[in-house]
Amino acid sequence: MKLKALLKAGVLGVSTLAMASVAAAQDKTIRIVGFGAASGVVGIFGQNSSAAMSAAFEKINAEGGVELADGSKAMIETEYYDDRCNAEEGISVLRRIASTDALVAIGPTCSNVAEPLFGILQAKVDDEGDTGLQFPVFTDVAIKGGLAGISEWVFRNTPSESQMYDDLFAWLRTNHPDLKTIYGGVEEDFAHSRFTWYSVMKTAAEKHGFEVVGEAQWLLSDTNFSNQARGMRRAEPDVVAISAHPFTTCGMLREMTRQRIQPKILVGLTSSSSLETLSGCANEAEGLTIPTSFAPVNEEAKAAAEAVVAKGGQMDLHSASAWENAMILKDIIEAAEIGGTPETLEEDRRKIRDALAELENAPGLLGSNKRLPDGEAVKPYVFVHAKDGSWDVLHNPGS
Amino acid sequence: MDFYFGLAQIFGVHTLLGLSAYVVLLTGQVSMAQAGFYAIGAYTAGAMTAMFGLHILPAIVIAGLVSAAIACIVGFPALRVKGLMLVVATLAFGEMVRLFFFNLSWQVERGGELFGPDGAEGFRSIRYFPENGWEVWHVTVFIWIVVAVVMAALWWMDRTRAGAVLRAVGHDEVAAQSIGLNLTAVKVGAMTAGGFIAGLGGGIYAHTVTHIEHGVFGVLLATFAIAYPILGGLGSVFGTLLAVLFIQGFLIEGLRFMGDWRSLLFGALIVLAMNLRPNGLLGEHAPRLKSILRLGKPAPDSLETKDAN
Repeated sequence: MKLKALLKAGVLGVSTLAMASVAAAQDKTIRIVGFGAASGVVGIFGQNSSAAMSAAFEKINAEGGVELADGSKAMIETEYYDDRCNAEEGISVLRRIASTDALVAIGPTCSNVAEPLFGILQAKVDDEGDTGLQFPVFTDVAIKGGLAGISEWVFRNTPSESQMYDDLFAWLRTNHPDLKTIYGGVEEDFAHSRFTWYSVMKTAAEKHGFEVVGEAQWLLSDTNFSNQARGMRRAEPDVVAISAHPFTTCGMLREMTRQRIQPKILVGLTSSSSLETLSGCANEAEGLTIPTSFAPVNEEAKAAAEAVVAKGGQMDLHSASAWENAMILKDIIEAAEIGGTPETLEEDRRKIRDALAELENAPGLLGSNKRLPDGEAVKPYVFVHAKDGSWDVLHNPGS
Repeated sequence: MDFYFGLAQIFGVHTLLGLSAYVVLLTGQVSMAQAGFYAIGAYTAGAMTAMFGLHILPAIVIAGLVSAAIACIVGFPALRVKGLMLVVATLAFGEMVRLFFFNLSWQVERGGELFGPDGAEGFRSIRYFPENGWEVWHVTVFIWIVVAVVMAALWWMDRTRAGAVLRAVGHDEVAAQSIGLNLTAVKVGAMTAGGFIAGLGGGIYAHTVTHIEHGVFGVLLATFAIAYPILGGLGSVFGTLLAVLFIQGFLIEGLRFMGDWRSLLFGALIVLAMNLRPNGLLGEHAPRLKSILRLGKPAPDSLETKDAN
């Protein structure tokens, strides 16, 4: 009787221990934190990124989570911090994230936040003389060119606008040889839109033989575009390129319609290839042509878009990057043999950085993303145009 | 821990910005030019360290002096106008400064790289602190030493004739003039001192964020600058500090988790605070150290309760 009781107690003890170990393994978590503008004028970008990250990690967790170095599985835990597109707040948020057990951060939204934020990170890895923050950042939205070069702790999965617009204007030249002149409209006080017009669109247009016959400038918070449109009407351009975000793009397009300005081709900013533009001014945006690194052109992209919508967001080229970043990080965590314990946190962060630096190709929703040595990416893209209230693929340069 | 040190850095630079407006407000003038002086300080100090390799200390002193000199020049014509006209005039100056930096491109080559303001692209790589081995807490201590020195200087000034003169002009210009005070000298002096403090603050700010651009130094920053001393109260320098802690610590950082509601609450709580404490959080007459230490002890008999002998 005594032996039976002893055996029972032993079996019970072992099984409890085993169950506790399983529970502990299931309780293991890896924290990946997002941050960006989730409120204010450009808050929609952060909200979409947050939804995309959340949907992607939910998918990863539903498929069993990520495998750690010891062979155990861990779930990915995430949250999203709002920096209101403010540089000081962005820096504060990143310091807060780095002071927790987060492995890596995905963000920010705004290029004017990204630039100072990357500046507080250590510029060169292993530089003993540089006391900058040593924390990996994998950017999804801030798209202004050349920012990843600021620090070796920064990696971006944003498309190369210079290549996209160069290709777009080359394609326009080939398919519309009759077009000669272009007029630019630029949202002057936003780092991304300003950079894209002056350093990307304008350069590409001139390179492919378009004559710039004028430029109109406005601000992100402007609501009146009559003067700018008047100048545009006088110039009678064949092509109008608007380097602005959805809010003022719609304002300008409405004013152009009111003043009956009808260019043969309308070109928009990558960030405007979103639902916001269509919900704001679908009729006026009809024909607006934009290169984008996301369109629901295959099953995977369609499924991802649906998952993001289910989380209350919209999939566009920016939030698609957030989704891709989550998936890339899953692969990285498994390949880099992350320990996932508080003791290995610093080492794990370094492993993530090194693995991202070594990556040459990464899977994306439209195909393989080429990773560059300076931390930037070259992503597949398509040209879309607004047609009957939705974005329709006009041309796929990769096909 | 670095997060809290980083937060303390934000409190420090904003306190300097608020104190720069505090000095001017003591003379009864509402200046929206502080963001402009802050910008001048930021670009000057950034240029001194990133372009010319100076140490941070002379860099921010030079930044303060340049801002002070410009504030002095601006003070003469701007302070001839009063009230709303002064607000408009100083606002116009602030915008002028912002647009100047929007157009300023001046870069020098150091070690094969270009450093300096690049117009609308801003001024990148003002990385004196990390490149010279300063840890986050070193920077925080440095900032708060500067803040403490400025606060002590203003607190001391407030207890001297100079402080009394500033407040006299602020309370009643006509009365101040009738006792022989030179209004222009007092107001321009206050504007110059405010410019110096804003320049110091801007200089430090540029080094904490490593990248500055014209857009940061707009009307919103100018509004924050005057909001700090008004919300905190003009009774003492500690009112400004308290307002900075309230706005930056509680409303911005503390309510971050509230997302979109934070912006709404931000305005509502400031309106509420101003209604509950119309003369500022610390009021017009800040409690003195002696009276704080006597808390709990019975107050001395007032004249009314004393028996006449």
